[in-house]
Amino acid sequence: MSPQHAFARKIFYLIGLVLLVAVLSWLGQPTVGEGSAEGKEGAASGLGLPNLAQLRVRYKLSEAQLGEIDPAGSTIKLATLGLRGVAANILWEKANNYKMKKDWTNLSATLQQITRLEPHFISVWRFQAWNLSYNVSAEFDDYRERYRWVIRGIDFLREGIRRNEREPMLVWDVGWYITHKIGTADEVKQFRRLFKEDDETFQRWEDYRPAADRDNWLVGKDWFWRSEKLVDQGADLRKTTPVLFFSHRPMSQMNYSEAIEKDGIFGEKAKESWKKAGDEWFEFGARAIPATEKDRYIHLNDAEQFDREAADRVAKLEAFEPGLREKIRKERYEKLPAAKRKAYETPPEKRTRDDWEKAQEVAEQLIVTHDQLARQISGPNRQTAIKLAREAAEFEKKSEENRLYRQIVNFEFWRERARYEQTPEAIFAREYAYKGAEALANADLIKAREMYEQCFAKWRQLFDRKDFAQLKNDDSLGQEIVGIIYKYRQVLEKSDKPFPKDFVLNDILELHEKNWRAREGK
Amino acid sequence: MVIENPLPHFAEWFPAAAVSWLLVAGVLTVAALVLGCLVSVLRYGPGAGLGAALATAFSGVVDVVCMSPRRVAALAWLAVKESIRRRVILVFGLFVVILLFAGWFLDVGSSEPAKLYLSFVLTATTYLVLLLALFLSAFSLPADVKSRTIQTVVTKPVRPSEIVLGRMVGFTIVGTVLLALMSVVSYFFVTRGVGHTHEVLAENLKPAGAAVNGRQPLSGTTESSQGHRHKLYVDASGKGVVESEFGHWHEIETTAWGDKPSFEVGGPEGMFQARVPIYGKLRFRSREGTDVDRGINVGDEWFYRSFIQGGSVAAAIWTFSNLRESQFSEGLPVEMNIEVFRTYKGNIEKGVLGSLSLRNPRTGLIVEVKVFESKDFTPLFIMVPRKITEFSSADVISSKRETPDKGVEFSPPQNLLDRRLAERKEFDLFNDLVADGELEIWIRCLEPSQYFGAGQPDLWLHAADASFELNFFKGYFGIWLQMVLVIAFGVTFSTFLSGPVAMLATVGAMIGGFFSDFLTRLSQHAVLGGGPFEAIIRLVRQENLMTELEPGLRTTAAQMADRVAEAGLWVIAHILPPFTEFNYADWVAYGFDITWDPWIVVPTLRALAFLVPVFVAGCFFLKTREVAQ
Repeated sequence: MSPQHAFARKIFYLIGLVLLVAVLSWLGQPTVGEGSAEGKEGAASGLGLPNLAQLRVRYKLSEAQLGEIDPAGSTIKLATLGLRGVAANILWEKANNYKMKKDWTNLSATLQQITRLEPHFISVWRFQAWNLSYNVSAEFDDYRERYRWVIRGIDFLREGIRRNEREPMLVWDVGWYITHKIGTADEVKQFRRLFKEDDETFQRWEDYRPAADRDNWLVGKDWFWRSEKLVDQGADLRKTTPVLFFSHRPMSQMNYSEAIEKDGIFGEKAKESWKKAGDEWFEFGARAIPATEKDRYIHLNDAEQFDREAADRVAKLEAFEPGLREKIRKERYEKLPAAKRKAYETPPEKRTRDDWEKAQEVAEQLIVTHDQLARQISGPNRQTAIKLAREAAEFEKKSEENRLYRQIVNFEFWRERARYEQTPEAIFAREYAYKGAEALANADLIKAREMYEQCFAKWRQLFDRKDFAQLKNDDSLGQEIVGIIYKYRQVLEKSDKPFPKDFVLNDILELHEKNWRAREGK
Repeated sequence: MVIENPLPHFAEWFPAAAVSWLLVAGVLTVAALVLGCLVSVLRYGPGAGLGAALATAFSGVVDVVCMSPRRVAALAWLAVKESIRRRVILVFGLFVVILLFAGWFLDVGSSEPAKLYLSFVLTATTYLVLLLALFLSAFSLPADVKSRTIQTVVTKPVRPSEIVLGRMVGFTIVGTVLLALMSVVSYFFVTRGVGHTHEVLAENLKPAGAAVNGRQPLSGTTESSQGHRHKLYVDASGKGVVESEFGHWHEIETTAWGDKPSFEVGGPEGMFQARVPIYGKLRFRSREGTDVDRGINVGDEWFYRSFIQGGSVAAAIWTFSNLRESQFSEGLPVEMNIEVFRTYKGNIEKGVLGSLSLRNPRTGLIVEVKVFESKDFTPLFIMVPRKITEFSSADVISSKRETPDKGVEFSPPQNLLDRRLAERKEFDLFNDLVADGELEIWIRCLEPSQYFGAGQPDLWLHAADASFELNFFKGYFGIWLQMVLVIAFGVTFSTFLSGPVAMLATVGAMIGGFFSDFLTRLSQHAVLGGGPFEAIIRLVRQENLMTELEPGLRTTAAQMADRVAEAGLWVIAHILPPFTEFNYADWVAYGFDITWDPWIVVPTLRALAFLVPVFVAGCFFLKTREVAQ
């Protein structure tokens, strides 16, 4: 190659380098200043386009804004020389291998290395925390070791929160593990006790509440509250269902109330707790929950209001021509073929499959919508009727949608539950049931019988209250009471006493015993 | 500790291994000779070619056999000086830097910090030393050839074999010195890193029991250090006991006793151990009472352990041989690590109960010496005294095995059982239960619907405690063996390849060696997802390992290609040294002595079995190069 060619090639490379450096330096220049207009608007480039640093600030993507900076993590990322993904894959494979071979020490160490390589990959934190608290803990026979590993999973999540401070799901997960992993485990009694006594862990968490306040439901509730705060400040819920997300804080109060009664705490403390649960459930119902469609919100408390609005409009509509709806229905019915009418008139228990199909079609054809009714009205009220019909239909649709969301969190059940559980009758009933079970466990049959009978008397008082007239139809409560009645029967059998024919809760037995037996396999 | 591939003892292993080696070496030698003759004939014609090939082979043998130790030493010294010139000491510097920052990555609050630290230092040392060996060995000869400094050596009366051996020995010396330095630094790093103590605050101790001579026994916990604390008990005389936690305990000394007691807690004990284990051979007794090789699978994806059903006749049975009275004159120290599987929770405040029995394999006398409460993932130690006066039951039973040709076999035969042997109030361990050095230890689970799981190394006799320090350095011997192998491969490859290519080839040999287990399983079609070609299809189509590929021409072609590839993989897996076999990190980390036989002797001979042919190959490759002629 001639010297001229070599020189030309060098000049060409130099020009290429200068161009590349110019582009890179434009992209990578720092922000003008956080407070300046250019800094905020991103016009520092002079072309109206934000550079990388400005985009980072705008979308809060810099390391310092995501969470605490970890020098170890940065070091290990550099040390992989661009093969971070490969290294993470290898480590993940090793972690699976250690878990399979039950090498817990190396598993923990490997998970830490994985998160150092990918500290902002949220799924890693969530998946592996679950692995530690749920899967690894279950491998141990000693419940104390199981508890330790549950706490390890929580500590793992807390580390993730330090690296990703604006990630609500990690915070929510901590709340979940503390409430549900500890509070609904098979070894719930032991776990709750260990949690209350765990000075080490609370010190590490810098949580200095006294031991008496260390109920797992209340501690977890605080974490749910923190996660809600992050969402209210604009953090993304990603794919989590909002109504479920926001329901857990008040549910923790419900579960706490239930838990303390299981631990034998009643009276004023239980009442206050259930009242607080009811109030928080109401607040939850008043919260604007994002619906599936963008920019629409649901308030779970509103269903009854929608029902009233719809009923009011329907009443006004029907007042224009009373009996018109029934008349239309009758006319339609008479026009139906005889076979369909016969199927519809057949008692349900005697219908064949074909009859059911026909009867269903007839039922649908006999529905007179508000709009159809309104359009049958003639005269000056017609337009008003059509408007009322449309509004009534809208309110009914809103109510239906609202109730669908309510079903996700069993909203009405828990609202009613908080309402009746805080009554003196319910609190006493539960206290007597608890004491009855205690007496039975101590083989004190006389006391057990006395306590159970007082328990049933209290439930009777509650069911007889006008404001709780429908409560006896509650399947969950009914089956629970049937279970207590079953223990009462055992006490009577052991005492050679017959079950009374005029038992005070015979109606409950009639309504719920069959389902209870099916569930219990008795 | 898990030992998935136990090694046989030297006496058991050597004869067959020697014969195999001689066979393979013979086959390879003949193959190399035939190939050499073929190449020579093609180059020079039949007569001259054959003559040249045989002459080369003969002179090669002479080269290898007639090496001069003096010249080898001189060339080794040359290799050492070259390594120093290349600043290999920087590797040591890098190692120290890694240790300095290791605290960022190691969790001292882990439940087994010693294990974590030991694993870390051994792993870090392995990687660094092997990298050093790789770069030194792969680039040395090619660099000399490129710079023509090799001419100054080959023009002297030096054999090619001496050049190759000299390089290998020289680099080995350098690596050994560095390894020794690293091992000393690592030892202090580990012992300082996990060393800790605890404070004991008198105000946190509570009275525990009745006062004696006006002094109250106390109990409580120490202050927290490294993420844990210990329960402690101090009796009325001031003597204290600290309970084990996270695999260690502390000695406690009462410095002041009375109204304001004060205590001094020593360093951690029991963290650095080197137990000398004696392992037995495991079999199982099924719930039908028949001896089988494996127990029940409770659904674990790892088949290392199998399980026995509780509340039945099922048992896990270890047979020990060559037990000597002099070795266990005080009694039998049994240690075990049994896994527990519950089918229902039961009483979770207590462990599942099990029993330990000893049986004489000749007479059938079985004595249940201990009922214990199990605790999984924690070794349980039971000392069976020489004179057994306390026992739950004694009986005489035969073991039963079903064989396809002989039907049911009883041992001893049932008509020879003497039930009077069991009708005694005292048994002697060696006189009554050990027969010609053989003893069976039976483990049963006593609770119905619960299961015990065990693998062969999960029960051992704790014969003695060896020195942890010596064991620690034995762990480095495994790294040394790996280093020597890498040097040998690197030097051999560098005799006929350029530096970078020799390095890649050596890296390939290392990877093949580290994953030889995986390659063997892959060649036997025992890996999910099929062979290499099937895996390519799955990767491209993003299909998981479990689904069957769509039947078709492509799948059939891939599977056929895989059969061929698997044969090649099998050959590669068996001609490369299994590096994982030389890894003693687990032994040191778990606190088990790396016994000479088989864990040092057998791997050393295996390494030698690879070194010799690699060295001979290196000699021939160098000999046939122009530069060496």
